Amino acid sequence: MKADTSQFPELDKTKFEQRGTEFKLGIPITNAVTVGNSIAVGFGDGTVRIFTSGESSEPIKAHKGIVLCMSKDGDNILTGGDDGRFLNISLDGKISEIGNFGTRWVDHVTANNGSLVCSSGNIVYLWSPNHKEPKLFEHNSTIGGIAFDAKGRRLAVSRYGGVTLWKKDYSNKWNSSELNWKGSHNKVIFSPDGKYLVTSMQENQLHFWRLKDKIDSAMSGYGAKIKSFAFVDDSKYLATSGAKEAVCWPFDGEGPVGREPICLPYVGNKLVTFVEPFPNENAILTGLSDGSVFLSEIEKASNTIIIRGFTEFEVSAIAVTKDCSHLLIGDMGGNILWTSIWDEEKK
Amino acid sequence: MEETNKQVPVTVLTGFLGAGKTTLLNRILTEQHGKKYAVIVNEFGEQGIDNDLVVDADEEVFEMNNGCICCTVRGDLIRILSGLMKRADKLDAIIVETTGLADPAPVAQTFFVDQDVADRTKLDAIVTVADAVHLSTQLTDHHEAEEQIAFADVVLLNKIDLVDESGLEVVKERIKKINPFAKIINTTKCGVSLNEILNLDAFSLKRVLDVEPDFLTSDHDHEHDDDVTSLSFVSDTPLDMEKFQDWFSKLLQTKGQDILRTKGILDFTGESDRYVFQGVHMLMDASPMGKWPQGKERSSRLVFIGRNLESMNLKEGFENCKSA
Repeated sequence: MKADTSQFPELDKTKFEQRGTEFKLGIPITNAVTVGNSIAVGFGDGTVRIFTSGESSEPIKAHKGIVLCMSKDGDNILTGGDDGRFLNISLDGKISEIGNFGTRWVDHVTANNGSLVCSSGNIVYLWSPNHKEPKLFEHNSTIGGIAFDAKGRRLAVSRYGGVTLWKKDYSNKWNSSELNWKGSHNKVIFSPDGKYLVTSMQENQLHFWRLKDKIDSAMSGYGAKIKSFAFVDDSKYLATSGAKEAVCWPFDGEGPVGREPICLPYVGNKLVTFVEPFPNENAILTGLSDGSVFLSEIEKASNTIIIRGFTEFEVSAIAVTKDCSHLLIGDMGGNILWTSIWDEEKK
Repeated sequence: MEETNKQVPVTVLTGFLGAGKTTLLNRILTEQHGKKYAVIVNEFGEQGIDNDLVVDADEEVFEMNNGCICCTVRGDLIRILSGLMKRADKLDAIIVETTGLADPAPVAQTFFVDQDVADRTKLDAIVTVADAVHLSTQLTDHHEAEEQIAFADVVLLNKIDLVDESGLEVVKERIKKINPFAKIINTTKCGVSLNEILNLDAFSLKRVLDVEPDFLTSDHDHEHDDDVTSLSFVSDTPLDMEKFQDWFSKLLQTKGQDILRTKGILDFTGESDRYVFQGVHMLMDASPMGKWPQGKERSSRLVFIGRNLESMNLKEGFENCKSA
């Protein structure tokens, strides 16, 4: 069923939609990443656009087909594409190629302290600062996700059958250990405090390991695959998509085992497709399958406000600038909302 | 749920190495002018592939974590199909070329199991390219060859110029014994009209109603127990829905590994609609498909393709489902 948008007059726009700029680009938005006070957005036609307050954003032709993944390295943007290229893009739009894998996709990219990492197929490639040739980490299956811990000494690589945890010793040698759990693991993240590792799976569930004692457990009960999840307020909660509510698991104290998650409901009964922590707050921005986006305080669901109304397309990207002055929302229909967060007088 | 017309059709090309998959692929790509295709290849053949958009992948069969032993999917397809659906320009079709030793079941199951894949793409058909000269030997020596025939919607019997007429008949009978549904097309150098292999919608329930299985009338002779064969049952007596569901679900749960494909049209007592289903191992797509056509006899038809079918007491089980 489609909603008839013509019934809703302009007045129905949220204050953020009124204040901000809406772009109807018609190209699916695949990623958004915060780079200082700018936000870089990747698209399904291989372009990247950079949004900065007071500046226009022109498309940068980065990849041939799709920007599959994005990350950042300091003030630079990292992208991987279906053209097999791993790119470094500066905020002024200069592109340099870090690696090229031909007909094999670059599925994941990340960086830490100048070390640049991507995965293509079952291999992780790591370029240390000032090294021309990458170091290769091979795995038993195509890689589902990669993540550094905050210090950059541990690199988690999710795969079929679990996670391979690479640890750098003090002679800068990488040693691996395996965290196994049956099934195919996709995205992987560390908790900001480094105590937990969480993956989403091909099944509609998440899996986590407590790293100090390798205790692990599933977080299940979802109606759909969990495409988006993130730690909020340092490591207090893990906010997750994949249900009609934003499901927030407690990770303080002894973690989520035996505890109930907080479930934040939204009007419209739609699937949550994207969650993004609001910086420095115990709050999340939640994007739904109809394009609407809300800001909620996790422990005070009544303090939920609507940021963007529906567009009919699932929210695929949300990012907030480092200074918390602006936010950007993107969806699979190619609609972007770029807006300041605060009223001018409240600044 | 996405509307059906937004789903991009996916054609799967299987067949042993050297049968002519890449020849067929290049034929499709050169003859379909002005269409945008993505091609997913899992092994580099000797011939190049003439297309802008070629994705290179490794076949990865993943077991799901749900305890169902035959519920395997193809991880590479989930990853690549989900990625392709983010493209700005819409694809007319996606063609997957499997390796010679690929099992088609996980490919088909991927379209049942993964919701994102099922929402945005649909399995159009499994097209198996078979070498008329070597197929008989391959069927004897390799389970995979049997499975590729068992899952085929179309068998392109290629290189027929290299066998005599009686040899051709032997191969065709062998194919029909394994899979009475497959449409067999004789070709040399994969010369086939593309509308016979593309946009077939072979996995839709509607198509189950259209396809008349082509059963051999000859006796089943000296099969080995693990040969893939087919059995079919017809009943003019309406079936009891509860009894049928009970028998059929137990059957799939316990024998699902040996049952490769099932299709059926069912006449249940007290129901005015025809029930149609089709399945791959334990996974099933079923739905009422409207009233029985006027002037036509109502009857139930059920077809199994699999191994060790004789040991499953299928006839007895089916008979017991008839309404008293």
